[in-house]
Amino acid sequence: MSGTVDPAGARAAAGPDPGAGPDPAVEMRAAAAALARPAPTDTARTTSDLSIDEELVLHSIGWEPVQLVTGVSIHSVPMGVWNWGQGEIAYASAAHAHSFALATERLHQQCTHAGGHGVVGVHVEWEILRHQVAVSLVGTAVRPVGATSLGADPVFASDLSGRDFALLHAAGWAPLGLAAGSSFVYAPRRSMTAAMQQSGQNVELTNFTEAMYAARETAMERMQRAAMTLHGTGVVEVKVTEGPMTFAHHAVGFTAYGTVVRLRDGGHRDLGATAVLPLDDPAPAFDAASLRGA
Amino acid sequence: MSDPPQETPEDLPEGASRRLEELEQGLFTSDLSVNEFLLIKEVGFHPVGFVMGSSIYHTGIQTRKWGQSQELTKLTEAMYNARELAMTRMEEEAAELGADGVVGVRLDVNYYEWGKDAAEFIAVGTAVKAESGASHRNALGKPFTSDLSGQDFWTLMQTGHIPQGLVMGTCVYHIAHRGLGQTLGSTGQNVELPNFTQALYEARELAMTRMQDEANRLGASGIVGVRLEEKSHQWGSHTIEFLSLGTAVVKTGDPVTLPKPTTIISLDN
Repeated sequence: MSGTVDPAGARAAAGPDPGAGPDPAVEMRAAAAALARPAPTDTARTTSDLSIDEELVLHSIGWEPVQLVTGVSIHSVPMGVWNWGQGEIAYASAAHAHSFALATERLHQQCTHAGGHGVVGVHVEWEILRHQVAVSLVGTAVRPVGATSLGADPVFASDLSGRDFALLHAAGWAPLGLAAGSSFVYAPRRSMTAAMQQSGQNVELTNFTEAMYAARETAMERMQRAAMTLHGTGVVEVKVTEGPMTFAHHAVGFTAYGTVVRLRDGGHRDLGATAVLPLDDPAPAFDAASLRGA
Repeated sequence: MSDPPQETPEDLPEGASRRLEELEQGLFTSDLSVNEFLLIKEVGFHPVGFVMGSSIYHTGIQTRKWGQSQELTKLTEAMYNARELAMTRMEEEAAELGADGVVGVRLDVNYYEWGKDAAEFIAVGTAVKAESGASHRNALGKPFTSDLSGQDFWTLMQTGHIPQGLVMGTCVYHIAHRGLGQTLGSTGQNVELPNFTQALYEARELAMTRMQDEANRLGASGIVGVRLEEKSHQWGSHTIEFLSLGTAVVKTGDPVTLPKPTTIISLDN
């Protein structure tokens, strides 16, 4: 499934001999038809990319994996979007938000279709290229053991591992979905005279600071807003990435995403951690750097 | 070293205050892992928001004498002030949220291709607030900061300590090159190189003393989790920044509740 939607893969396969490669249009139709088919019965095999440990932990709280599900969306970016300008690159931010929303929707669709109540361990990957923004989500749909109908709550997606999901569940929390936000900006420019005056001085570059600071805040604010539309209590394991675009160094991208969680009706329960002291010897490792005193 | 710069809350960009206002409506954000989140809840704290501060700083030029070991005060000041600016802004964001402190603080330095001689200093962390409503702010009335993980924070609280602040000291030092005579004199011999030893020793001591001074100002009883980092950044091999970082803690009257750890031995590899 993921192979058919992945444009890079499809294009690479079609590269040397376009006639022999799969026709994307046909494959897309086939994929859509597969989605429209009735849900698999209980006898269907399960697929999952969870480790054995994670499956065991999931079972311990009464959940089981159902199927590996994906959601992919690619948004094209027209020419000239990355050309040097000022302020935010609104088109890129919007393209990212749109791709992310669509990919999540498709992930939810597949999950519902497989009879899952939610998706855990979602690998969130995105690629920002000159002409396209691609978001892909892959995770394992899960449900309470033996559940045959859909849950009362809407389907959730979460990048937390099965282990983290079980821990949160035990403490009285439930994941609600993924929230993401991004902001792409042009790096500000410094006038020649300002640069001359500042050379040799210790000085904060206030306009640079403000531009980068504001962009980072904007990305996080968009993530927060997404979390609020899901009526979450909070967002955990927020990952913030930033950096210049590889193809346009004057454009800097900030992204933030995390799993939105909600406190369930029973309230928070302490797990009562106990301190343990493992008596295992640390694995002996030889570090050549230690010889240099580094 | 100059005093930490005094900043007013208006210093924060517009986007930040808008984001923080939203957070005050009850949603929290945090880069803590689920483990850390649950442990912080367990010691009676609640995350209130992901906070950060940043400063893009232009570093001045200082001439170095080829054969002389010396502290490069201008660079030291730049590295210190820029970090302090970023941390102060992060503290302001936390104060704006009414937090008692910030845990899991990370300090980063970014270099951008378009900014020659400039570096971005960033401080990020998760602001937390006591659920009991009791204030845990530090001696200066500001939210405490700490680079301890959620696990370390849990352990620290169980032993009746409370963090006071992330303290740091830095020293940019130029280490003298060795003259031809010295190099020839020590060829083929087992011998200590006193000028190198002395320079590195002194630079480290300077950084650590400055960190201790900061802790004293906070009235701390100790510093835990001290790290000493050495980096050349973009200055070449003979100019090194020594940065020491740690969390200043103070012993409270609270009883020690950390139970005796159970010893375990795992049967897997």
